[in-house]
Amino acid sequence: MSLRSRTKRKLLIILVVLILFGGFAAWFAWNKFFREEPEQQFANEIERFKYGSIGAEADRGIPYWIWLVLPRIFPDLMPGPGGYQSFGIVWEEGQELPVGFTKRIIGFPRVANNCAICHTGTWRSKPDEVPHVVAAAPSHTANVQELLRFFINAGKDPRFNAQTILGEIDQVTKLSFIDKQLYRFIIIPFTRRALRQQEEQLAWMNRPGWPAWGKGRDDPMNLTKYFMTSMPVDNTTGQADFPSVWNLKARKGENRFLNWSCDTPAVRSVIIDSALGLGARPTNWFLQRMEQLDNFLSESPAPKYPFPLDENLALAGSPIYKRLCADCHDPGGSRTNRPIPIAEIKTDPERMATWTQAAADEANRRVKEMGIDRPNMVKQEGYQAPPLDGIWLRAPYLHNGSVPNLRELLEPEESRTKVFYRGYDVYDPINVGFMTSGPDAEHSGWKHDVSERGNGNRGHLYGTALSAEEKRALLEYLKKL
Amino acid sequence: MLLKASYDTKPRFWRRVFSVVILATLVIAVWLGVRLSRDRAVTYDRIEDHFKYGSTGGERGSGIPYSVWKLLPQVFPQYLPGRDYAALGLIYEKDQNGNLKDLPIGVSKRNVMGIDRVFVNCAICHVGSVRDTPESAPRIIVGMPSNTVDLQGFSRFLIASARDEQFTAQRLVPEIARAGTDDWINRLGLSLFGISLMRERLLMLGNRFKFLDREPDCGPGRFDTFNPPKALFNFPMDKLPPEEWIGLCDFPSIWNQGQREERKMRLHWDGNNDSVRERNRSAAFGTGATPPTLDRENIKRIEDWLLTAKPPPYPYPINEALAARGAPLYAQYCASCHGKSGSDFSGKDVGSVTPIDQIKTDRARLDSYTLELCVNQNLLYAGYGNERFSHFRKTFGYANAPLDGVWLRAPYLHNGSVPTLRDLLEPAENRPQEFYRGYDVYDPKRVGFLSDVASEKGRKFFRYETKLKGNGNYGHEGPAYGTQLSPDQKDAIVEYLKKF
Repeated sequence: MSLRSRTKRKLLIILVVLILFGGFAAWFAWNKFFREEPEQQFANEIERFKYGSIGAEADRGIPYWIWLVLPRIFPDLMPGPGGYQSFGIVWEEGQELPVGFTKRIIGFPRVANNCAICHTGTWRSKPDEVPHVVAAAPSHTANVQELLRFFINAGKDPRFNAQTILGEIDQVTKLSFIDKQLYRFIIIPFTRRALRQQEEQLAWMNRPGWPAWGKGRDDPMNLTKYFMTSMPVDNTTGQADFPSVWNLKARKGENRFLNWSCDTPAVRSVIIDSALGLGARPTNWFLQRMEQLDNFLSESPAPKYPFPLDENLALAGSPIYKRLCADCHDPGGSRTNRPIPIAEIKTDPERMATWTQAAADEANRRVKEMGIDRPNMVKQEGYQAPPLDGIWLRAPYLHNGSVPNLRELLEPEESRTKVFYRGYDVYDPINVGFMTSGPDAEHSGWKHDVSERGNGNRGHLYGTALSAEEKRALLEYLKKL
Repeated sequence: MLLKASYDTKPRFWRRVFSVVILATLVIAVWLGVRLSRDRAVTYDRIEDHFKYGSTGGERGSGIPYSVWKLLPQVFPQYLPGRDYAALGLIYEKDQNGNLKDLPIGVSKRNVMGIDRVFVNCAICHVGSVRDTPESAPRIIVGMPSNTVDLQGFSRFLIASARDEQFTAQRLVPEIARAGTDDWINRLGLSLFGISLMRERLLMLGNRFKFLDREPDCGPGRFDTFNPPKALFNFPMDKLPPEEWIGLCDFPSIWNQGQREERKMRLHWDGNNDSVRERNRSAAFGTGATPPTLDRENIKRIEDWLLTAKPPPYPYPINEALAARGAPLYAQYCASCHGKSGSDFSGKDVGSVTPIDQIKTDRARLDSYTLELCVNQNLLYAGYGNERFSHFRKTFGYANAPLDGVWLRAPYLHNGSVPTLRDLLEPAENRPQEFYRGYDVYDPKRVGFLSDVASEKGRKFFRYETKLKGNGNYGHEGPAYGTQLSPDQKDAIVEYLKKF
């Protein structure tokens, strides 16, 4: 054989080997990082609401095994004992993940969030009771801001390294040798980098002295502005309660709006935008899932008041409600789900100030860019008057949760409590809201101070001039909604 | 071509040397590989021996080198209340030649990576001892709650030794050489890193378990069940509210698990789990066995045996006439919560949780188990299919347990605050305010262990004070609990319970 053909042969062999190796490497990479396994089955739509994926795992998932050991490595970065439970998120007995957390295998198992992290709440009738979990309720106990801060702080802590993390993982499971190396050289460094990125994206909420969200609240429009669009950080702060998301069909209709300051004209838009905010990928699967959620939540009934009701007293309250409240709060009412001008409602204006027409335009543009067609966000002046379905479970009240219970809402401002503790889920049937004072509430709750920026409890003085007897009747009627 | 030429010019001698070196390296590598991959527990044919001495896998992660284990009582006698591990209540059986066995009941041995290691197994808490008189030989009874073992004293001894400045390779390895309990390779490993690794680990455990010091002393036969799991999750224990601090309770008996599973009885003192299998794995954490290290075959042998394991019958005389008078009283006052008999567990409330405001016993143990811990336990055994824990629940009372072998389960109530059955039928103010635990001589009159003996043959017993937080002996009293019956009726019930 000649020298040239021998070299050619060698080159050919090398080429074939390279192609084979390349093919294997490609398959290996796909298998370890991109292969999607089908999601688990759910018993019903409620379970799927609580634990089902909205498609955020690919872009914003934390590797499951890292997620699992983080509380053991960084207990000092958590509010207290209890792992993830210490953030007040809802975690049901027997369930692998807390409510609002999803798990999917995309190459490797990853954990992400879904709607339920902010929209599933609990209540107890007494301390010695396991909390009743209500899907679609506001997550009154969850401190989502602290949870976000935890991941960021863990990510930049020197203990966030392969040796420490793999050492902890070793205590709970046996990763294969290859998987261990993948974690060591790729997955852990990538996660650390992603968390660094999150830190930058959330720097605006960590400005020194900035008002905290507290339990059961977030700053929704600033999140939209700085996450979905990349508008420059401004000086607004808009702490607002998580709303309930049941019975959404009562919020649909011509010229009806959602979000506290009527920023969205359609249920579908809010659902889509919120899910995108959690990191969901805008695919066809995603849009289908959003439609399913829309249908499910539209028909989900509000939970009934579980404590004893004085039916006669409630009957006496009905005409008072019709006279003073129905126009704004009855589904289909003339002013329901429409902006009440700030000059009339007189509640804290900070939340309204966070959203602008420019922001709406930018958000709409971004969503269109993603290939999604949904009714456009808008800018209105004022706060919406929502239906009061299940209002008993939506304490504290007003958009910023500054009034602890319904009884106080019917009192003039001077009589409303100025400092109270929110996030304790034992109910107070006398004042109609959660318990907000006492050693247990102080221990579990987050301190709301109405003098802090954005936390004001002024306004909504409707009914404050009623007699004590009328107020009692109206209060009893409201329990039935 | 050039290469081939230069190769040929090397003398053949170096080629031989080269091959020998390669061969020798290969042989050493293989031998090391075989040795370091060794994982062999000592096995036992008889199931009782397997229970007493078999390994659950704990040695793999938490094992103490056997040679160090043997040495510690000699090097650090100042931290022991006596001469050896027997002083901590560990039981040494005799082999067929009449010599004491090498390891006490409850300590297993496994060779991991070439080093023999020991750690505790189920039997350290679930094998007890009964003597008819101070001079009798002890009856060793498997499945009974350990009444002599001071688990806290044992862990305190290990940690105190580790903290001592003498716990070094220089001090310990020459002693090991003298005792001949490990070969030169293991001694080398121990010298280089084994001793210091062990010291580090024990110090870490000592710190994580510091919280035990803020509870009353456990004493023999007791431990804090559910605060240690919080420490294993690395909860910041100093941030726990005071109501949670004290989780002390008696070791339980573990016979007849099959019936408990069939009737879906709620297990653990507060009834927080109704799955026997899950409860077994939860308890196995106490033997150092984690999801990756659990020896599933060995555990299965024990699990299967426990399904039908039975307590031994009461060995002392029973007044049948008196017992016969006790039967209908038992049926009226006790059976609905505790079952028809020691073998028939049928009854309306058997295995259910009685709310704390009805049973009114000390609630410290109940409060030590929290919803926070409960939901975190859902992550244990994650990734292991249906082994993942999913049965823990937060309850608000104590579970009604069957009374199989109740004569062996003294002292009584979840925290072992009532020394005898006869005392339990008295209202709390008549129950002993203080008594001694750890003495294994039986009291057939009051049914329990002799509890007024402070010491014997230089061995001091544990003074149990019911006034301490968590040690309360109140509750399980009142008309429904038989404490207002006549003395004669009470005697009759106690006599009847001897037959369980």
